[in-house]
This record gives sequence, structure tokens and C-alpha cells, in this order.
Amino acid sequence: MTETQTTQTKRELRFGVLRSQEGILAILLILIVIGLSLLSDRFLTVNNLLNQTRLFTETALLALPMTFIIISGGIDLSAGSMLAWSAVMLGFSWQLLGLPLPLAVIVCLLTGLVAGLINGILIAYVRVPPLIATLATLAIYRGFSFGISQARSVRGFPDDFYFWGQGQIGPFPTQFIILVILIIIAHVMLSRTGFGRWVYAIGNNELAARFSGIPIERVKLVLYAASGLMAGLAAFIFTSRVTTTRADAATGLELDVIAAVVLGGTSIFGGSGSIIGTVLGLLIITLLRNGLLLTGVKGDATVMVIGIVLILAVLINNVLRRR
Amino acid sequence: MRKSHASIVLALTTAATIVLSACAVPQGVAPTVQAAATQVAEAAPTVEAAAKEVATKVEEAKAAMEVPADWKAGIPKNAPDRAGKNLVIRDVPKLIGIGYFAATTKGMEEAAKELGNIDFKTDAPTEAKIEKQIEFLDNFITQGVDVLLYASNDPVAIAPVLKKALDQGILVIGYDADAEEDARQFFVNQATFEAFAQALIEDMVAQVGPEADIAIVTSSLTAPNQNRWIEEMKKYIAEKYPKLNIVTILPSEEDQQLAFKAAQDIMKTYPNVKGIIGLSSVAFPGVTDAIKQAGNCGKIASVGASTPNQMRPFVEEGCAKDVVLWNPVDLGYAALYAARALADGKLKPGDTEFEAGRLGKLKVRGSEILLGDPFVFTKDNIGNFDF
Repeated sequence: MTETQTTQTKRELRFGVLRSQEGILAILLILIVIGLSLLSDRFLTVNNLLNQTRLFTETALLALPMTFIIISGGIDLSAGSMLAWSAVMLGFSWQLLGLPLPLAVIVCLLTGLVAGLINGILIAYVRVPPLIATLATLAIYRGFSFGISQARSVRGFPDDFYFWGQGQIGPFPTQFIILVILIIIAHVMLSRTGFGRWVYAIGNNELAARFSGIPIERVKLVLYAASGLMAGLAAFIFTSRVTTTRADAATGLELDVIAAVVLGGTSIFGGSGSIIGTVLGLLIITLLRNGLLLTGVKGDATVMVIGIVLILAVLINNVLRRR
Repeated sequence: MRKSHASIVLALTTAATIVLSACAVPQGVAPTVQAAATQVAEAAPTVEAAAKEVATKVEEAKAAMEVPADWKAGIPKNAPDRAGKNLVIRDVPKLIGIGYFAATTKGMEEAAKELGNIDFKTDAPTEAKIEKQIEFLDNFITQGVDVLLYASNDPVAIAPVLKKALDQGILVIGYDADAEEDARQFFVNQATFEAFAQALIEDMVAQVGPEADIAIVTSSLTAPNQNRWIEEMKKYIAEKYPKLNIVTILPSEEDQQLAFKAAQDIMKTYPNVKGIIGLSSVAFPGVTDAIKQAGNCGKIASVGASTPNQMRPFVEEGCAKDVVLWNPVDLGYAALYAARALADGKLKPGDTEFEAGRLGKLKVRGSEILLGDPFVFTKDNIGNFDF
């Protein structure tokens, strides 16, 4: 057997494992759904499930670019802070600068984009390791949020603004429709385009990727900027849902996001993962939390269960990889 | 290859979820009844419409009879008759895991035990975050509880989810920190500005007498609560103790060190000052510490509002005689009694008092239930509280 052949078989084996890993997650999800629906008759109802999509959309929106970023071997810890900063800018530009609301929403999205671009420039061009760069901006953006808002919340938005976070299109919550569209776009981008392949290549071996002519800096810049833009969008939907902008919004949200992505089988070392996995990871965490609360398990115990599931999923993942 | 398999798995999962949830729906009795009602309505539209109209009018008349015209608080929609029935009550404070809300829960559990036939539980996030609190409330609404109690992290942000609860016939009562008035039915107010200010002045007069120079260290000069207290104190002094003289009011910006310094400045500038009031949870310990370090314990009275934990060392060694606040155990106890009374129809819009167990009759002003006089923590009882 030549060396290339060995790599070939290893590659195939790993892809095979990956395939079954999503399968395992799906089985896990079905088991959880069946188990929880036996424990509470309120769990498996259309109303409850649709309502849950309202509560997890913001996390899901951030999890999409996070999947790309982690596959590329990076991480974005500033996601929650970018959301807060964008939300604060929405309230600030609308109430204090007196901008019309649609313009304020654009300011909100742009704030996210700028925050993401700063991360991207720091990581791709200044070459600060992603963990350190985004740990720093996590604090900086949170500081901006408190500074600009003076720790005061903005409220009293007009009623039609609440359509995006509380309204419905047909039977579906508005934000759920937006989320589904973005999930499809992200999935296609990651699995069907050259850009997606570049992301995997960078995560697998950055040096090799550089030698094969992939514009690594530009790809990274796009990834972190996209993460910022999504944070801006999530901030807009969040503000519409909770009807007020607060500087302490979404504190620690990045941890929920990263947990979902990792639970979904994306390797924290980069190089592998999928949007479908992330969506399954998100569903498992959300339904577990909701279902356990409905069956009367206390909130702090629920967090523990999710932690255990996370470790189990990674363990199964590792065992499968070694085989 | 990989992708197509994954897609199939996802599709199967989705399909399974949809099928299972479709099966689950008819289990609920309400939808079936509704469906039957719709069928009847289709069969005899005019009769049904007429009947409905009459019913609405009756409802309106009833509502007009029971609810005062100036009632601004919320009213639950189509709330079932819960009088005397088993109640499922859930309490969602700002957060759990801190002494203060452990104390309110203790009071609620005590009341639930006294009343019997109440299924009570407290659950909330472990950090005081509004978005997490909304999630807890939302899940309890889905669970189908009878009463929700809350202490809000944000009065406006919590309103939509509370209104949703009211829309589904759930009774909603706040305590400690209110929401917008129309998002709940009643709010248990732990201390009115008036009663609180009077208690502070009475405490001061008891220690320095009715003729003395006193000073105040407030939080910031724009803090709304503190300014209301100062206003009420001045009013009460003018009325009852005209010879009590406030020589100065200094800010401390929620900073214990600044309060410490302010108290030092007061002692230097006004040597005749007999007592200082510390008007925030950090101003009071700061002021007391300054008095203690200047060796003025017992010579200058330190009076104020703070939590027992922050003041315990000073109260135990006697440098502050007592702490004025409210008793969170009583607060929780009153909130749960209010829930029972509301469900039984014994607490209605327009009522001016209601019976709250060992607390006796509590006053109701508009949609606010008043807990009554502030609670004074002294050397003897401060050890019983941990918040």
C-alpha cells in the first residue's frame, strides 16, 4: 500500500464516520423527543415546538457562521457582545439620534458588520490568534454597549416593529422563516461551493491551503464579517422579541452557540463539520432544555443534563473516529 | 454521498416529529371541544352568532360591574373558575441562588403549606437576565399553570410574555420589581416611599431625639427612589419634627468609598451633627464605617436602608443600632396569599384590602398591594436573615 493510498483510506473512513455521526445525532434527537413527550403531554405540540423556534433563533443565527469559523480552525467568542453592541446602536440611533426605525435597523446591521470586520482584520491580517482577538473584542464591544447606552435601556418601539420578533407568517414565527432560509443558504455554501471547500481546506491544513493558492486572509475576513452581520441581524430580531435594547443582552450567548456547533459534530480543531450537524445540535439543546423544564426539572439541573449530553456526544464522536 | 444520507436522516427526523406532534394534538381536550363547537357554529350560524352576541354583551356587562372604570392593570381572558380548587403556582424571580430570593421563596412555601392544595415551585435563571427569565415564563405558560408570580428584571421587556399569560387565562401577580401595569393584575409593593421615609425618621428620632442636626448621604443626586425618599422625609419632618434639621445632603454614587468619604466630610464640616442617614445599600455601610473609624460609635447615630448581610458586623458590634428594610419572607408570603385570594375571587379590582394569613389585612391601593410598615433588623433578629 503506498502512502497516498493510506491517506485516501483514512479520508474515506473519516467521511464515513462523519456521515454516521449525523445519523447518531438524529437518533439521539428522536430518542429525546420520544422520551420527553412521554414525560409531558405539553411538549410535543405544534404550538410548543413553534414557540421554541422563537426562543432559539438568535442562537441559531450565530451558530451558522460559527460553524464555518470553527471548521476553518478559528473561534468567535465576541458573538454575544457584537449582538449587544448592535442592539444598543439600534436603540441609540432611533431614540437619541432620532433616525427613522428602518434606518436604525440598518445601523444595527452595519454595527454588527463593522464589529465582525474588526475581528476579521485582527485575525487575518494582524494575525492575532482568533481566541485572543475575539476574547479581547468580547470585552471591548461589551464596553461599547455599556458606554453608549449609559447602561440605560431603550424601549417604546412602535407596534409594527414587533413583527420581526413576535409576529407570524402563516403559522410560523417570522424569525423562523428567516432562519430556515439562512440555514439553507449556509448549508449550500458550505457543502456545494468552492468557498465551502476552501473553509474545510484551511481548517485541515492552513499551510497546504496557502500553497494551493487559497486566499486565506480574504476567506477569514469574510467569515468573521459574516459572523458580525449575523450578530447584527440577531440583535434586530432580539430587540423586536424582547421589546427593549439593553447593554447586558446576550451575555454568555457565545457559549450556547459554540456548544451547539460542537455538539453537532464540528471538530473544535477545525477541518470537519456540517450545517446539518449544527442544526441537529441546536435542536437537541433547545428541546432538551424546553422538555425538561416542562416535565418539572429545575433550571439548574437542566443545564447539567445538557453538559452531560455534550460530553457524551463528543465521546461517541471520538470513539467512532478512532475505530 | 455523505450529504444525501445526512439529508435523508434530517428529512426522516422532521417527518417523525411532525407525525408525532400531529398525534399529540388531539390528546388535548380543548381542541376537540373547540372543533365540535365550530361544527355546531357551521350548522346554525345565525343562532350561534346571536347567542354569541348575547354572551359577549353579558360578559361586557359583568366586566363593567366588577372592574372599576379607571382600572389600568391587566385582566386575564376567559379565566376558568378556580375558587377553592387545586392551584399550580410558579414563581419566577429575577434569579435564583441568592439569599434575597431564597427568602421570598421561603415565605411562599410557608404560605403554600398553610393554605394546602397548592402545587408551588420557584424556578428562574441563575443570573438576573431578562431573556432567560422570559424563557422560563414562556415554558410555564406552555406547561399550563394557574398562577405566575414574578419579580421582573426589566419592566418593559417582561410585559409581552406576561400579557401572553393573561391572554391564556393565567393569573399574574408581581412582587419586588414590577412590570408595566397592564401586563399583570396585582403587584405586591414591599415598601411605599412614604412609609419607608417615615420609618427612617422615626428610627433617627428614637436615637437622637426630636431636636438635632442630621445629614444624609444619598446614592446619586438624580436617583429617583432616593429623591422620593428624601422628599417624603422632608415632608414628615416638617409635619412632625420641625426641630430636626437636615444640614446637608451629599451624593455617594453607589460607591461605598465615596459614602465613607462623604461621612468623614460631614463630621469635619458639621461638628454638631448627631446622626447620618445612609440612603442606599452601600451608602449605609460606608457611613457606618466612617463613624466607627472616627471613634464616634455611640456619639453619632447611623441610620439607613441596606441588606442584613452588608450591615451584620456593624449591627452586631452596635455601631449601627438597626437596619430599616422590608422582610422578603413576608413579601413572598403575601404574594402567594394574593394568588390564592385572586383565584378564589376574594381579591378583585376595586378592593381596598385583603386577608393575608399571619400578616392580617393588607391594604390595596389601586392594583398595588402594600406589604405594610418596613421591617427593622436589629441585633436580635439579624442572624435569622441571609441576603
